[in-house]
Amino acid sequence: MAEEVLQDSFAAIWHSARDYRPHLSAPMTWMATIVRNKAFDVLRSADHAVEIDGNDFDTAVLRALEDPGLNPPDALQLSRDAKALAACMAELDSGHRQVVGMAFFHDLSHSELAHQLAMPIGTIKTWIRRSLERLRTCLGKQERA
Amino acid sequence: MNYRDENGLRDVLCDKLAGEYVLGTLQGGARRRFERWLMDDAALRSVVDGWRARLTPMAEFAPAVRPRRRVWRAIEGRLRLRPGVAAFWRPLGLAAMVATLVLAVTLVQWRSREPAIDYVATLSDAQARAMLLVTADRRHGTLDVRVADGVDVAADRVLQLWAVPKEGAPRSLGLLPRTGAARFALPPNALSADVALLAVSIEPTGGSPDPDKPSGPIVYKGGWVQAM
Repeated sequence: MAEEVLQDSFAAIWHSARDYRPHLSAPMTWMATIVRNKAFDVLRSADHAVEIDGNDFDTAVLRALEDPGLNPPDALQLSRDAKALAACMAELDSGHRQVVGMAFFHDLSHSELAHQLAMPIGTIKTWIRRSLERLRTCLGKQERA
Repeated sequence: MNYRDENGLRDVLCDKLAGEYVLGTLQGGARRRFERWLMDDAALRSVVDGWRARLTPMAEFAPAVRPRRRVWRAIEGRLRLRPGVAAFWRPLGLAAMVATLVLAVTLVQWRSREPAIDYVATLSDAQARAMLLVTADRRHGTLDVRVADGVDVAADRVLQLWAVPKEGAPRSLGLLPRTGAARFALPPNALSADVALLAVSIEPTGGSPDPDKPSGPIVYKGGWVQAM
């Protein structure tokens, strides 16, 4: 399934390259958005309760989020934007970081997150809102620095 | 929910919804309403673009996965790219990078660290059709060019690839072969920050007689942008 998504995405990227607006987004952001949307579209339409090989994946990702310096070869491959984001993610409380990471990678709604983490939905909403605000402030500071 | 509220409140709400839309927590009916609104509101689209720029780099935190060869073959078939020399292009990094995202939703066991693509350009003709894809891999010092079907040159002419800096003379990167794929050694100055464009000109056999500029018409060009 991932391979089909990849093929679809490449085709979409190739065919819509003329619509790409460099002043609006960086090329990786643009391509990554296409791939991510395609992937989630496929998963939604297939109505897959995808068994995200959850734990290993989340552990790896969260470790990267906590401290991208832990694994130098990986850290070297990160773009400047990703390094900036990692630094700001590292400043979030660990619970907040986990919620944001799970939402991004698994396309979960507030209520799905609440269910997965066995937490009240109000808490999830608050954590997401605060995390997004903090990330924006933190990334804005880095940009000006 | 009525999204079209009074101005100040509306901005705050827009921003919150855009962030949640990009993050993925905005789902179901609310997501569909938001997408409809997005279609005819350019200001909202730019708020969403801002959040995409902030959050999408998160995809890079996922471990990279290298797709199987047949994925490349299928892509080549779909895009009607000429089959190139297999070893050239397939294992390279664009796929590996993009695949990091695919991994986010599905699966996969085998992990390998692939070379990263540093720069990428899609070169288009005057009708804005994408004709060439050029990628640079700094670690391996290579420049890969992929040519779409429909690129034809007279028998006594060649295509020459140029790096065009913001100021000063263009620099030749090499002559493109007639087959679909080519790899060049990456000239050190091809990646310097002042290179804004890549361009392809039609030249006599052997390339432009003037090493500092094309002698024939520019037929394709595209922005040379840092990928990661």
